Amino acid sequence: MRLADVRLSDEGRAVVAQLTGELDLSNAGNIGGALAESVPNSAFVLILDLSEVQYLDSAGIHLIYDLREKLRARGQALQLVIPRDSPANDALRLAGVAGHVATSESVEGALAMVGQEPG
Amino acid sequence: MATGSQPTHFIRRPPRLGQTVLPSPAPGLARDEQVRPLDRLSDPALSELGLGDFLDELLVRVREVLSVDTVAILLVDRSSDQLVARAAKGIEEEVEQGVRIPIGQGFAGRIAAERVAVFIADVDHADILNPILREKRIRSLLGVPLIVEGELLGVLHVGSLRPREFGEADLAVLQVAAARAAPGIERARLATAFEHEHRVATVLQRSMLPRRTVAFAGVTAAARYLPAAEEVGGDWYDIFELPRGRVGVAIGDVVGHGIRAAALMGQVRTALHAYALEDHGAARTLELVDRFMQTLSDATMATAAYAILDPDTGVMTLSSAGHLPPIVIGAGGARVVELPPSPPLGAVPYGSCTETEVTLGAGEMLFMYTDGLIERPGTPLSESIEELRATVSVGGAAEELCRVAVDEFVPIDGVRDDVAIVALQNADIPLELHLRLAADPRVLADMRRGLRRWLRARGADAQETMEITLAVSEACTNAVEHAYSPAPADFSLDARADGGEVRIAVRDSGQWRSPRGTNRGRGLKIIESAMDDVAVDASEEGTAIVMTRRLGSR
Repeated sequence: MRLADVRLSDEGRAVVAQLTGELDLSNAGNIGGALAESVPNSAFVLILDLSEVQYLDSAGIHLIYDLREKLRARGQALQLVIPRDSPANDALRLAGVAGHVATSESVEGALAMVGQEPG
Repeated sequence: MATGSQPTHFIRRPPRLGQTVLPSPAPGLARDEQVRPLDRLSDPALSELGLGDFLDELLVRVREVLSVDTVAILLVDRSSDQLVARAAKGIEEEVEQGVRIPIGQGFAGRIAAERVAVFIADVDHADILNPILREKRIRSLLGVPLIVEGELLGVLHVGSLRPREFGEADLAVLQVAAARAAPGIERARLATAFEHEHRVATVLQRSMLPRRTVAFAGVTAAARYLPAAEEVGGDWYDIFELPRGRVGVAIGDVVGHGIRAAALMGQVRTALHAYALEDHGAARTLELVDRFMQTLSDATMATAAYAILDPDTGVMTLSSAGHLPPIVIGAGGARVVELPPSPPLGAVPYGSCTETEVTLGAGEMLFMYTDGLIERPGTPLSESIEELRATVSVGGAAEELCRVAVDEFVPIDGVRDDVAIVALQNADIPLELHLRLAADPRVLADMRRGLRRWLRARGADAQETMEITLAVSEACTNAVEHAYSPAPADFSLDARADGGEVRIAVRDSGQWRSPRGTNRGRGLKIIESAMDDVAVDASEEGTAIVMTRRLGSR
């Protein structure tokens, strides 16, 4: 059983990546690399949906920061979907970085924020 | 037409060049003069020989009785529609060189195609394909088809080096020999074909069953597959990990036997496994397999049962499509879990399955089986199930239970129908955890699963379980990163709970390194936020992170 999986969808200006499963030291590096590769030059933003992630720790937080830097270098933005009652939000809160990253409650909210109608 | 040299009373219809079609002799016609030679051919002692020796001895006797120089048997090769020389006396080269004659052509080919006896008075003037017959200077030939229950097996023919008029008496002798040889050949052919099919089906079966029962956090499992003594069937089992740390276990029985059943089993098993990984519920997974089976051109039916266990909570959902009821074994004995009846997979259009929830407490076990294990002629199924329930109620480890079931229910000479059994035990939760783990990131997920179960059992609520697990996983991640060296290393995790306080220590033998970069800094921050008290003890021998948290205090 793979610990986590990535599902991508093209929403025009945005690429939505939905992560499921668990993110830790064993897979965060590979997933971060795959996500960085998944955004074409034509997209403005990567929406990373963490609402279905069951576990995330400092390795996952590192992935988020690292991905944000990589996208920023290409002139692209990272928008996170992290509902308040999700395990991902608990990890961000305990790490003391909850307020440091731009998050939305839902993919629809994130798409609206980047000016893209939900497809 | 060069038919002048042939005795006219043998002619049934206009023959081909140099060949004469012989009618079967009238019953009893040859008996008077050939009784003794015929006895030689019907000698019961011949039956005791293996096929090779039997054919050899039969051909020797035919040659003696008919005073011919050569005698040969060619068998039909169905894959090429040819006759292949299988046994010969006097013209052994025919077998050695693997002579092949297309059915319908030449002397033997015509006997096979038209299923008639053929007499050739003079080979030089006949349509003969086999060069060996000419090289050996055989002049006259007589041959008959080998037929069993209307099926052509081959050709038996005799030859003479001097020109000879084979008569009706000779034909009668040859036909007795053919009648004697054919059933033996057919038996041997079926045995070989059967053996081949059995071998293929066994390989097919084995290749599709899990090679080993994998150990997952929180459960132990054991399984058996026993092919029937004579035939492989369509039974299978499967155990696999599902998303969110749950375990799926399936068992089933595709109707039928042999290669077809084994191949269909592979398709049905794979379909179930794939739908299960898509994280449908137990009943929906079976329904999807049913829909899949409805699309197969090779219509088939299967019974199956599928269970999903969450080792964290012990909650297990069970669904059955016409399969025998599972048995749950606990400290208080064993009970048969009667599931609402659902039709077998592939049996009715849009069949639906229902789900039953059962709690599998720590140490309790699910036991599933196929009918081959318990079915006995004359014994009602319910009686056999009760007998099995009583047998497995002794409990024990999963492996032990499988062994007991096989010991008690499988006869010494093997099973008539194939058997699959699978046992899944929700592991006991110890009062304290003392784990040694490899310093490998891949152990982290299993560690978390085991820890979550233990925390729940110690009374931690969902939020506490989540936060403590996060902190301990960070400490373990630290230990794994510490051990960054070419040599394999390990670390330990010890956990205990006293008076509502959980105390967990993670120790490695690496040198403490101050947090480098923001990533490890975040890890330590998470540990400190999630736990009430954290002590990092770094020494020459290694690093220990000892964490405590009082339950119900936040």
